[in-house]
Amino acid sequence: MIRQRNLWITLLLLWSLAPLLWQLYTSFCTHEALLQPLAEHNQRWTLDNYRQVLTANPPFWRYLLNSVIVGISSTGLTLLIAIPAAYSLSKVSQNVASAARLILLGAALFPYVLLFVALLELARSFNLGNNLLALSFPYAGLSMPLAVLLLLSAFRDLPSELEEAARLEGFDLWQRLRWVLIPLIGPATASTAILVFLFSWNEYPIALTWISRADLLTLPVAIARIAGSSVYSIPYGAYAAATVLGALPLLLLVLIFQRQIVSGLTQGAIKG
Amino acid sequence: MNLVLQNVGRRFGRKWIVRHLDLEVGEGECLALLGPSGCGKSTTLRLIAGLDQPNEGSITIAGEDVTTVSPVDRRIGMVFQSYALFPHLTVFANLSLGLQVRGIAASERKQRVASVLALMQLEDLAERHPAELSGGQRQRVALARALLRDPLVYLLDEPMSNLDAQLREDLRPQLRHLILQGSQPVIYVTHDQHEAMAMAHRIAVMRDGKIEQIGTPQELYHNPLSLFVASFIGRPQINLLPAESGIIKAIRPEHLQLSSEGIPCRLVYREWLGTSQLLILESNRGRLRMLCASEITIPETIKLNWSPEKEHQFDASSGERC
Repeated sequence: MIRQRNLWITLLLLWSLAPLLWQLYTSFCTHEALLQPLAEHNQRWTLDNYRQVLTANPPFWRYLLNSVIVGISSTGLTLLIAIPAAYSLSKVSQNVASAARLILLGAALFPYVLLFVALLELARSFNLGNNLLALSFPYAGLSMPLAVLLLLSAFRDLPSELEEAARLEGFDLWQRLRWVLIPLIGPATASTAILVFLFSWNEYPIALTWISRADLLTLPVAIARIAGSSVYSIPYGAYAAATVLGALPLLLLVLIFQRQIVSGLTQGAIKG
Repeated sequence: MNLVLQNVGRRFGRKWIVRHLDLEVGEGECLALLGPSGCGKSTTLRLIAGLDQPNEGSITIAGEDVTTVSPVDRRIGMVFQSYALFPHLTVFANLSLGLQVRGIAASERKQRVASVLALMQLEDLAERHPAELSGGQRQRVALARALLRDPLVYLLDEPMSNLDAQLREDLRPQLRHLILQGSQPVIYVTHDQHEAMAMAHRIAVMRDGKIEQIGTPQELYHNPLSLFVASFIGRPQINLLPAESGIIKAIRPEHLQLSSEGIPCRLVYREWLGTSQLLILESNRGRLRMLCASEITIPETIKLNWSPEKEHQFDASSGERC
């Protein structure tokens, strides 16, 4: 039984990790070794790909920084609006809340790519192009439905007696949120924040169309530029190195918050 | 200080949860709201606390009409059934946060929390989180929080229902001592008639959103005004004889006596309770419960009788006393 289960887990791990491992392998290989993996080579392993990416102009850490700025500002903006929205939806009558949930679900499932032309028009008329912080408006807007849904279910899972006790103790609305409710939905907030950050980290079409200045590019666009930088050959190694570098901050984030993410995602599954 | 409810009613949609409630709880008096679940006793408590607004009637605390006053300004000390302690805060923070929010200086906060912790024998637990406490300890913290509120009224919502029987018995005198020594009115919601009788000066028996009868435990026991109160108060439950010409006779198990003539019965089984024994008897007028001293040996077939003044009579259709 257990041996069979371990086999399945190994297969599953291979299935999901193989592309990442392949990318890692590629990033450390010389170009020749990549093209003829079975032949003999003087030099198979190299750090050249990383050197190339990190010393390009503008250097790669610049894109990382851009993406971090956009990620943090979109996540912050999303939570700033989604937490009060979710709280108020948890207080309205059952019918209104169900209708709102349905609408939010519809919005969350809507393929956002259909919107990017219209968004581009908006960016043009409000002069939001080539502005990193402005990117957080569409990102926050697109993440909002999912964020509100996740936080709403977290608020609903809190026993109402906790807030009532706080009211009797003399807490006003802001104090209840600050001292009681927000700390208690911490795990859900953390997992929501990660999802929003992830979306903004990976987002491509809007970033591609809103940003044209090379020093303001976000990671996905920058990586795509590396891949298409030469007409004659595809720089697989550099491309892979850039992806690995781009994935590292996310990996770090998930490692730090993994406990909150797991407890946040399973919240509501079991009543405490 | 007193608490007065006049003609209070609350409805959801067109259904009245409670209606025509009139209550007066005096200074230092403990009134139990007793009734089965869904009878409106918790709703009544929430209306008094201000967590819910009545659709009609008025609520007065210490001579002041608070019907439209927010819960904060009513100064209510409430103990919830679940205790509602803030799970992310230590015991000390649970107690001091309310004081902080109400604008009390840090030094005074510390001193007041320390004194209430000492009073409730919780000093050693000040740095624990609620999850690390036993049920009884949590209840004491919840009570400490209510005490710190310096309230005009105490509201206790089933404060013992999450504790085991032994602990309840141990805590009852402590609870009485702490709460009833003050001059505040106390409302004690429970579905346990035994607890209501033990804790309260007066009991209001509620049913379907109305107060069925209100009185001292003795009054309710000796002079129940309805069939419902008669069968809700007193354990083992009162015996109801089948209706004869529209009248139901009721006799408490402890008032049945062995006699040479009366209802012939057959012993089905007996429960030995230590100082007494409970006999379950089969008769031509249905099953009867009888409580008698445990040293009496009961033959297989007996005859039962009772003195007429111990008998209660109720109208079979309305359930009211006649």
